[in-house]
Parts: sequence; C-alpha cells; structure tokens
Amino acid sequence: MSASSIFSFFAGNPAIIMMVGALMCIATPRHLASPILLIATALSAIKLSMLGLGEYGAITLFGEQITTLRLDPLSRLFAIAFHIAAALNIIYAWGQKDRAQNFATLAYPAAALGGVLAGDMITLFVWWEIAAITSVFLVWAPGTRATYVSGMRYLAIQVLSGVMLLAGIVLLFRETGSLAFDFVGLRDASGAIKLSALIMFLAFGIKCAFPLLHTWVQDAYPKSTISGTIILSVFTTKLAVYALARAFPGTNELIYIGAVMTIFPIFFALIENDLRKVLTYSINNQVGFMVVGIGIGTAGALNGATGYAFSNIIFESLLFMAVGAAMFRTGTSKATELGGLYRTMPLTMTFCIIGALSISAFPFFAGFVTKGLIIDGAGGVNIWIWLTLLFASAGVLEHAGIKIPYFTFFGHDSGKRPKEAPIGMLVAMSIAAILSIGIGVFPEPLYALLPNQEQIAGYHPYTAYHIIEQLQLLLWAVLAFAVLVLIKWYPPEIPSTNLDVDWLWRVPGRALLSWASGASRATWNALWAIFTGRIHALMARIYAVHGPEGQMARSWPIGFMALWTAVLLGFVLALSFLG
Amino acid sequence: MSDHDQKGKGWADNPTFIRIFIGILTVSAIAAGLAGLNPAWHNPHPHFAVEGVPVFFAIYGFVAFAFIVLAGQHLRKLVGRKEEYYDERE
Repeated sequence: MSASSIFSFFAGNPAIIMMVGALMCIATPRHLASPILLIATALSAIKLSMLGLGEYGAITLFGEQITTLRLDPLSRLFAIAFHIAAALNIIYAWGQKDRAQNFATLAYPAAALGGVLAGDMITLFVWWEIAAITSVFLVWAPGTRATYVSGMRYLAIQVLSGVMLLAGIVLLFRETGSLAFDFVGLRDASGAIKLSALIMFLAFGIKCAFPLLHTWVQDAYPKSTISGTIILSVFTTKLAVYALARAFPGTNELIYIGAVMTIFPIFFALIENDLRKVLTYSINNQVGFMVVGIGIGTAGALNGATGYAFSNIIFESLLFMAVGAAMFRTGTSKATELGGLYRTMPLTMTFCIIGALSISAFPFFAGFVTKGLIIDGAGGVNIWIWLTLLFASAGVLEHAGIKIPYFTFFGHDSGKRPKEAPIGMLVAMSIAAILSIGIGVFPEPLYALLPNQEQIAGYHPYTAYHIIEQLQLLLWAVLAFAVLVLIKWYPPEIPSTNLDVDWLWRVPGRALLSWASGASRATWNALWAIFTGRIHALMARIYAVHGPEGQMARSWPIGFMALWTAVLLGFVLALSFLG
Repeated sequence: MSDHDQKGKGWADNPTFIRIFIGILTVSAIAAGLAGLNPAWHNPHPHFAVEGVPVFFAIYGFVAFAFIVLAGQHLRKLVGRKEEYYDERE
C-alpha cells in the first residue's frame, strides 16, 4: 500500500475524518476545540454526501475480505442522523474547555458512525468497542466518585457486549465462512435458535437496553455532565437499533421485547424525580417502538422503525437540551427543585414544548409522520401488540410530553429566576426545534431517505382518520392529566432513589462479592498459615540438628577421632587377613 | 446562576389563562371525538373492529393515561428509597 493509497483509505471514511478531528482537539488550544470539532463534522458530512451508494475501503485481513465502508439506504439514514446529532451537540456545548470531554464529544459519535458504515463484522466490532471506550469519558467527566464507580459499571457492561459480539462473530464465521455484516436471523431453517446468532443478538440487546439489560442507561447517563448526557443519549442505543435492523429484521421475539420496552419505563418515569433520568427511561421507551418495528420486519414497519430513529434522535436530544439548559442555569434537574422557569427562560420553554409535542407524535411534528408506520405494522401482528403501543403512546405523552415541560417550566413555582440559556444552547435547540417541525410538516425529504422506497411512496400520514385517531388519543390523555391535576390526584414529585434491577448487583451482588472476597482471603490466610507453620517446624528441626547448637554441628575431641581411626584401620586389617 | 427568590405570578399562573387553556383543550378534545362519528373519516382498512368505534381512541387515551398515573404511583411503595440509598452503600 503506497502512502497516497493509505491516505485516501483513511480520508475516504467519514468516521475517520471525525475521529481525526476529535484527536486534533486534544493537541490544540482549548478555545479552538469547538470550531475544530464542528469543521471535522462538516468535512465528514461533505465526504458522506460525495460518496454514492456502494462499498468502499476494502482490505484483506488474514486472508479475509474486509469492507470498512458500506453506504446503502439503511446506513445512510443513520449516518445522516448521527452527523446532525454530533453537530447539534458541538454547538450546544460551544466553548467547552475540558479536553477529555471535547475529545469524546466527537470521538464517540465517530465510532458510532464507523459502526453504522461498517460493511463487515470485524469493522463493526472495532468501532463497537471504540464507542464503548470513548463514551466512558463522558460518564467520568464530572470527576466524582459516584461517576467513577458508575463509569466502571458502564464500561464493564459495554465491554461485555463487545466480547459477546466478538464471540458471536467467531461462531458465525465458523458456520458460514463469511464476515459480511448482513442479515443473520435468530433461527436456522429448521426453526431452532442458532447459538452464534443468539450471542450476537444479546450483544446488540445489551447496547439496545433490552428489558433487564437496560439499567446501565439510567445508571450512567444522568450522572454525566449536561452536554455529556445529551451526547450519550443518542449514539449507543441507536447504533444497536441499526445493528438489529441490519442483522435481525423480522425476528418475532423482537416484537415482544420491544413491546415490554415501551411499557415498563413509563411507570419508572412517572415516579422519577430527576428529569434527566426520566428522559433516560424515555430512551428505553422510544427504542422499544423501534425494536417492535424491526421485529415486525415488513417494509412499512422497517421504514417506521428507522424513520422514527432518525426523528427521535432530534427531538429526544431537544428535550435533553432543554432540561440541560435549565440545569445549567439552576444547578439542578430535579422536578422538586424546578418549576416556574417559563417566566425567565421563555425560549427554552418553547423549544422544550416543541420537543414534547414531537415525541408525543402530535400531527405536524416529527414523531407523527413515522410512528404511525410502526403502529400500523403492529396492527398486522395482533391486537395486544397494537393496544400495547397505543397504551405506550399515552405513556410517552405522560412522562415526556407533559412531565418534562410541566415540572421544569410550570408546576409549582420554585422561586428561581434564572437567565435565559446561553446562545450556543439556544442555537442548538432552535435548529432541533426547526427540524422537529420541519420533518412533521414536510416529511418527504425524510421519506426519501427511508430504506424501502416502494412502500413509503404509497404512504400518506396526513389522512383524516390518522389525524383524528391520534388527536383523540392525545387530547383525551391531556384532558385526563388536566382532570387529575384539578382534582389533585396527580401525584407530587418526591425526592427519592427508585430501585431498578441493577439493585441486584449493586447491593446484594456487591455484598455477596464482598463476602466471597473476604471468605477467599480468610481461606488463603488459613492455608498459608498451615503451610508456613509446617515450613517453620521443618526449619526448626533442621536447625536443631544442623544449627550451631545442633548435634551434627558439635566439635569432636581429637582422641575420639584417633580412636575411630584406629577402629577403622583395625577393620580394614581384619578384612585383608580374611581376604 | 442568577436565581432570585422572588415569587410572582406569571401569565401561566393567571386563572384566566388557565380557564382559557382548559376550555380550548376541552373543546378540541370534544371536536376530535365528534370527528370520529363521521364514518367517512374512519380507517378504510382497519385491522380490528374497535377501530370502527367512533370514540375508541379518545376513551383509550383517557383511560390509559389515568391508569398510568393512578396505578403507577404505587410503584413508589415497592421501589422508592431515600435519595442517599446508593451513596450509603457504595
């Protein structure tokens, strides 16, 4: 490989362009970090736009063909969304001076982008692991013991996902002889679950935050810095959604896993006081809709899942940004300590409401034009899945559509009168808000990016029945909220920690580990004491015999030696006479 | 941080605004329900018979929301602990 071909190999991959930008901001003056990051993102976006659909960056590794860059409609959709999210995050955190955070602000999206663009599983695995390692810097960024411990838990789970992915790749390669990152499917032709596929499925499931595997999201994300949480909220789970859409579309199990994902976070979000943590439950819930769509696997449902991922990246970020802006100005994201901020933060409040309307899927906002595809697809499965998604839609309205703006900007008056958000935050939020409305009003550009063009050409979101059904569901749910508040049945927020399944390894698991550690230490000490006791006894015995006071070390009198010499000589003489 | 512990009524606390807001909400919700009475505005390709019930989505939205709030709050009794719970154990 010549120097020029090496250069073109690296410069030809948008993810590597982004990664170089991230690395550059480590070595350059801090005040240049944000411009460098934004320029790198822009260059990466330009490179992406110049690439036509196809496969690039082919190399041979250990005799196997590796396709480091594949651009098809599915990867392109996620790649564009990741560029938008990365740019919004950089603008939001404009002027950020922390080198580690600045690095992670783009290195982590670059890794996620690399994963989305990977044409083979080795490339996917490499980017998968880089995403895990770079993102932990965002968890650690606040620098407290709590964030350190949480970051270690986060890293352990992410690396576990990576190791499982690698194991799945190895087993799959042994079965198929291929490293291509394409459809895998959970079952073989006879309907039996393939071990290789199952391991890979769970690796994706960890990063996708499947039920019971989800708590790393609530544990790590809300502990990061204000901008760190927003960045974290986008990439890992959506990379996993992409991976599932690529490898496991139409997997029936995903329908039920996704349905559970849409439901259980609603109840945890309802009782959670920390609004950033509420939004992390919202991530689980939102990803659940996407997982259901992938599980259904029809052209329409896949369009819905991927299109919803695209728009969710924008409006979920917008909600995180609005809560982050309130936190930046007040120092808290707890509902009990916020409220009444609409007086002095009207722009942030407006953006937050736009985000809330979008995530709730009100007509003319981004969620509406893609979520309907998933729910329509669910109608083709069975009535229970369909009703579950409708129920979950009311739940989204409760925790993300109402709770977030209501408790931050309205609700009880906290007495806080902070300034409006800084200009960088306002610019980022305004762009996200414009996109949320823009996609809702003019969905055609988004539709043009969806993977199944034939299906989407015949889909029209703004039909009378779709608008009426959605408005009935949402407006009557809002009415229920108003009634519950008026009759004072809506529960007040309470400062608390709500246990989730991670309690199992954070408390009894930790105690068990501590006990096992103590028990193994005590056992070792006892065995060592027995061993050293025996050695000491042996040494004492040897010392007693051979030491200075020992029998073998005493000095013998000359006469004694002469006597024994005479005895020996007499013995030899006797022998010679006998011989 | 420029917090001032000033209490004061803003536009959203004005009872007139609240009345107007709830009025518009109620009228809109009823209008959406009434719109569902027109068979021409029903899904021409329904998956299930309930989609043909004129106010099914309105009832389902109202009941689902109320259920989530009224039933969900009891989850606190099961999983709610004091804020410092993990700080004291890690």
